[in-house]
Amino acid sequence: MKFSLRNKSKGAEILQQGDILNKETEGLSQSQIVIQRFFRHKAAMIALAVLLIIIIFVFSVFDMQFLFFHYHGWWKYTISDMPDLAFKECPNNTVGCPTLNLRPHFLGGSGLRFGDHPFGQDDVGHDYFALVIRGAQRSLLVTVIIGLVGGTIGTVIGAISGFYRGWIDAVLMRFTDFIITIPTIIIGAVIGAHFGNLGVSFLALYLGLFAWTGLSRLVRGEFLTLREREFVDAARVAGATNRRIIFKHILPNAVGVIIVSVTLLMSGAILLETALSYLGFGVVAPDVSLGLLISRYQDAFSTRPWLFWYPGFFIVTIALCINFVGDGLRDAFDPRQRRKISRKERNVTLKLRARND
Amino acid sequence: MITYIFRRLGTLVVILLGSSFILFNLAAISNDPIGELRLSRAPNAKELILVTTRELRLDLPPPLRYFMWLKNVLGTLVGHGNLGVTRTHESVASALGAAIPTTLRLVSAATFIAIILGITIGIVTALRQYSQFDYIMTFIAFLLFSLPIFWVAVLLKQFLAIQFNNFLGDPKITPFWLSGIGLVSGFLWASIIGGTRKRFWSVFVGVGIASAAIIVTIVKSHWLMNPGLGPFGIAIFGVGIAFGITHLSVGLSDKKALKASLFMVVIGLIAYYPSQIAFRNDHKAIIFPFMVLLTFLVAIGATFIFSKIDRGPLFRTTLLTAITISAVTILDKLMHTWKPYFESDAINGRPVPTIGQSNSLLEPGNYWLTTLDILMHLVLPTMALTAISFAGYIRYSRGTLLEVLNQDYIRTARAKGLTERTVIMRHAFRNTLIPLTTIIVVDIASIVGGAIITEHVFGWNGMGTLFNNALNNFDLNLLMGVFLVTASLAVLANLVADLLYSALDPRIRVGSQ
Amino acid sequence: MKKWNRSAKAALALAASAGLVFGAMSPASAATRTSVVIVESNSFTSLNPNTSGQNLVMNTDIAYMTSMGFYYYNNEPSIIPNTSFGSYKVISQKPFKVQYKVNKGIVWSDGTPIDGVDLLLSHVISSSAYSIAAGLGDPADTKAPAAFDSLGYNGTYDQNIVGEPVLTSDRMGVTVTYKAAIPDWVLSSPGAFPVHTLVELAAGEKKLGSGPHNLAAKNKFLTAFKTKDTKTLKAMGKIWSSAYNIDAVDAKTNPLLLVNNGAYLVSSAVKAQRVTLTLNPKYNSGPKTHGIEKIILNTISDGTAAVQALANHEVDVYAGQATADGLAALNKISGIQVINALSATWEGVYLRSGDGPGETDHYTGVFANGSTAASKAQATDIRRAFLMAFPRDEIVEKVWKPLSAKSGPMDSINYFSTFPNYKKMVANNGSSRYTAGTQASRTTDALKLVQKYYPTTSASAPNVKIKILWGSPSNARRISEAAIIKAGLAKAGFDADLTPEVKWVSLLPSNKYDAYFCGNGLSGVFQAGLTGGWNSGADQYSGYNNPAVDAAVKKLQATVLTDDEIYAQYLIVEKNVYDDAMSVNITQWPAVTAVSQDLKGIDPSPILPETVWNFWEWHY
Repeated sequence: MKFSLRNKSKGAEILQQGDILNKETEGLSQSQIVIQRFFRHKAAMIALAVLLIIIIFVFSVFDMQFLFFHYHGWWKYTISDMPDLAFKECPNNTVGCPTLNLRPHFLGGSGLRFGDHPFGQDDVGHDYFALVIRGAQRSLLVTVIIGLVGGTIGTVIGAISGFYRGWIDAVLMRFTDFIITIPTIIIGAVIGAHFGNLGVSFLALYLGLFAWTGLSRLVRGEFLTLREREFVDAARVAGATNRRIIFKHILPNAVGVIIVSVTLLMSGAILLETALSYLGFGVVAPDVSLGLLISRYQDAFSTRPWLFWYPGFFIVTIALCINFVGDGLRDAFDPRQRRKISRKERNVTLKLRARND
Repeated sequence: MITYIFRRLGTLVVILLGSSFILFNLAAISNDPIGELRLSRAPNAKELILVTTRELRLDLPPPLRYFMWLKNVLGTLVGHGNLGVTRTHESVASALGAAIPTTLRLVSAATFIAIILGITIGIVTALRQYSQFDYIMTFIAFLLFSLPIFWVAVLLKQFLAIQFNNFLGDPKITPFWLSGIGLVSGFLWASIIGGTRKRFWSVFVGVGIASAAIIVTIVKSHWLMNPGLGPFGIAIFGVGIAFGITHLSVGLSDKKALKASLFMVVIGLIAYYPSQIAFRNDHKAIIFPFMVLLTFLVAIGATFIFSKIDRGPLFRTTLLTAITISAVTILDKLMHTWKPYFESDAINGRPVPTIGQSNSLLEPGNYWLTTLDILMHLVLPTMALTAISFAGYIRYSRGTLLEVLNQDYIRTARAKGLTERTVIMRHAFRNTLIPLTTIIVVDIASIVGGAIITEHVFGWNGMGTLFNNALNNFDLNLLMGVFLVTASLAVLANLVADLLYSALDPRIRVGSQ
Repeated sequence: MKKWNRSAKAALALAASAGLVFGAMSPASAATRTSVVIVESNSFTSLNPNTSGQNLVMNTDIAYMTSMGFYYYNNEPSIIPNTSFGSYKVISQKPFKVQYKVNKGIVWSDGTPIDGVDLLLSHVISSSAYSIAAGLGDPADTKAPAAFDSLGYNGTYDQNIVGEPVLTSDRMGVTVTYKAAIPDWVLSSPGAFPVHTLVELAAGEKKLGSGPHNLAAKNKFLTAFKTKDTKTLKAMGKIWSSAYNIDAVDAKTNPLLLVNNGAYLVSSAVKAQRVTLTLNPKYNSGPKTHGIEKIILNTISDGTAAVQALANHEVDVYAGQATADGLAALNKISGIQVINALSATWEGVYLRSGDGPGETDHYTGVFANGSTAASKAQATDIRRAFLMAFPRDEIVEKVWKPLSAKSGPMDSINYFSTFPNYKKMVANNGSSRYTAGTQASRTTDALKLVQKYYPTTSASAPNVKIKILWGSPSNARRISEAAIIKAGLAKAGFDADLTPEVKWVSLLPSNKYDAYFCGNGLSGVFQAGLTGGWNSGADQYSGYNNPAVDAAVKKLQATVLTDDEIYAQYLIVEKNVYDDAMSVNITQWPAVTAVSQDLKGIDPSPILPETVWNFWEWHY
């Protein structure tokens, strides 16, 4: 008895929530709804803000050249500068400890200070802040390229094979199987051995060409399900072209899955590059990436922890933010998704209900 | 359907032919096997170069060497070929035969835990979408998902092995750690349980103090050195388990099931002392299957005693309870083995290892010591692998369940007045499993390929190490052997996933002819 | 769901308190240990490291600890005769004859006495002539290996042996005749091998034989050896080349495979994980051991993992290439002593003056000698400027000093600072051209020299383009070195391209590079072992061709010389190489060994077998 009572009240509450939801989206286009929902997703908004701050911060550090416009970075060192070691007497008999200090005077620290080498220096004197920032630039670049290349190929192949089925599907999916069987690390090794000096974009491009298989299978699955739905039948009966059905009817419904997968792919890309660097197949010196730094200084964590933690901090933060943004987008794109009903709104509905009773 | 499967298997062969050709040639040009020898000043350097060239047939171009390899492998079809030998003259087949079980031992526990834990947490977060618990778990999941595995490994070894072992040498807990543990566990439980603000804070304070107290008692009473549950502990655990399983399986309103479950706990307790004797027996190979059989029989018996109709759900409940009770009894036995293990010369008071598959000094012979040793060596790698992989399951199961919960049939089920448990467990959860199954199948196939980095940092020699060594030592036969196993499994898993999907979701048709 | 959580929580809390009923702990007892656990970076694959594919460090270490011969290297390193095993002496100068004799009374681990017959197999696995004559196949064949798939062919012994070794009348040794007096004839000493087990294995036996049975087997080998019995020898060759390739040893392993004369014997091996060596009760072929009963070799390929395992006291000995952080981490671990030494590997920079061997194009860079005297003089000047400006001191200071306080610049092409003649050599070899004054003053001089030929270059805008080859781009030390080199050379007007190459070794002969820097290793101490490949020939990657150097190297390789004569020849090599500005060495690599504090007697050698060379002296 008790259970059924509780559920009845819950059912009523759901209806009420639906009312709020409808009111909220009345008179808005699909994209407006998505944007509005996304902006209300607190975690995603924070993550997006952090990510943007990191990107702006990271790319403002060094000089840059856009066609005729020359941008002057605000940091004095580049990754090839080798100033003398500022500190030769650091804890654990090491050198090059950081000057960054976030501990204020009243907590026993020496006050807020950025200093000459905020993240310290490596053995030969390179400014570690410059190295980490350059690494973060590289890792972001890898992420974006793999996300773009892998995301595009995966979506296109998945969409085509899921929509057209038949022999097109068979051929494309067997091609996907073919790509799945070739291990990424072999690609990394071959590129490292032969084109290592062509740079990180080249590496990312090649990895992107092999990183789309999971995504394409997901998108295909989504298309297979969606194309059997009533609204697709309706569109077809109404005389819509395949192109129109794909782009106007199925794709908007599949976009949630695609976005989540692409963000997973992108955060995975940072880790893939890290893993390849660890095994010696990633970014090649003198260029650096976060993965390269963290694997180079993996045994520094108990002696020169700053060499280990700063690149780690950037890897984790970037990956974390991308995942949260993806999460927010997924929720925003889900057409049936309800947003959180705040306590205030629930009270209003309860009052309304009470009055109706 | 059958023709479809055969056609897929046929294309598998074509795919393997194509990708093996590409892989072989890529690997052949990625390295120079006699490179190191060129710089060697050893008196027999010339001989070494000659021998290496002869063994690897470096006088022939890579495509030709590929076809020689292929001819040898295809020979297995007519009975006189093999997968070749490694550079150390071991047969590739036997190298694979040794590596696959190692890898399975390493990754199966982690995968199992990741799936169970991931799906459970995923469901809870979906049911409490946008709650504090949801946010915390999402954050933790993404955080773990964002960590490089070798980083996790280094940190785990430092804090959970080296420092924990040091701690065990002199178990004293500082107020800092105590308050930290109290705060974290209080916050965790409070946010899981949720509810009003007042309730949140009361749970927070209660759990916080309780866990700090438990930690203090555990440390002070040397329970860490000599742990065990005993019949009393098992009884308490058992009752909790009986209630929990009954609730999830058929609902607590089903009094028969609850009684049957509790009955199983009683049987388990009665069997406690006989099982201690059985554990001491030397013929484990006979005793263990017998005990498993007994567990089944008792579960069936209980079902017959407590119910006359609709025995299926009841049997499910009793069996689950019985299995869990048995597991707890075994856990208790292992806990009692802890003290002798801890004090043995081989362990010397440092029970959490950082490396390898078993202790190199422990004399074989004592079944429980050896088992505990193997389990201890699994602890850190399993934690590392679980940490990085379960996040994916949380996200997938949360997302899918949310989608399912918004479907019309769930609304209908609720509107019919079904209990929330029935709606979630019977309608929503089952449909959530459909897409998850296909993901899991593909994941399981890919784990056989091994975790290259995990195996490297924890000193395990499974498929991942084999692959890495093959690549670094220019061992093409070995590389291709590993490739054949992993690639065929990957392709087969995709086939199985496709078939499963169409079997579970009738809207999808496979091969549509 | 709520109910479950609450009940689970209650259960957990109560279970924990219930467990407290059981209590009372006693401290772990610490007995004197008798076992040592060593870290190895690769896996065990064979009991016979002399066959193809098996000469891996772990296999050779195990072979070293399980078998004894006429000599071993100590950590100076110099050759120490193993008098417990036997003795050797020259019995005739012309023809050059050496007699190797085994002591009476020493035995294999199965109790069979060791005698001269056991030394004969060494000839079978080292002499190409014997292999061909006995119908065992030509070892130099590029298609198929000989019946004994040995790595010993084509060495000094093979090139100089005349006829076959002859058993002495008391059967306790062999007499070997060489073409002429060869340097380092001790190194060509025959190794002992339990030939009776080989015969028994070839006959398919699975158990240790009795005394008379073993003696009969030994005689069977002797007859086969003398008569060149192809069939018997081929069967033995098959066993020798393949049956010893095992990676696991347990109760089922054929005990005949494990018979040996070393202080320790392989008692068990877990595939790809570890090998356990146990004391040989019948051991009398070498120095006495000091109470260690078991030596366990654990395979751990990751350096960081090995350091952490050491910190967790899972292993006792770890020797590896240290990083500054690894070293600091080791120093922090309590109960560990860190032994700093210098290894027999060193880092150097090598310039190109002519075409690399086997290349079809020609070298035309700034260091090219060219065909005229003027062009040669110019190239030599530029090379000298390069070496003068080469920031060697800075590299040593910043990259190598943090790894070992013992690190310092190496001012000789061939000699290590530990050699008795090192100081004399440095004073006379002409290296002072590149070490005199300060780095700043040398760089100023170098710039002037460069500007003489390339007036447009300067320290602020260097434009003399050079390409320097280096490898292992994942090696942090090399990366640091490359950065310092680039900056240092720029001050002398060189614009150096220092892109690393993964396949750098294959590119060594390439004419596209003006220089390369890399590590070089010494594998043993022999008369010509230090010449560093400066004689012209196929392994001469720098295109260097100097008749004086060629003559000196030839003399070192072919004639027995006194210490002073050896020094004189090396001085010729060094003077020429420095004068022609072909190379400077940077430093000797430090070698770090971390050992559990309780374990005594470890004193690593700079050359293989490094840490384990004096395993018999270890004790707790």
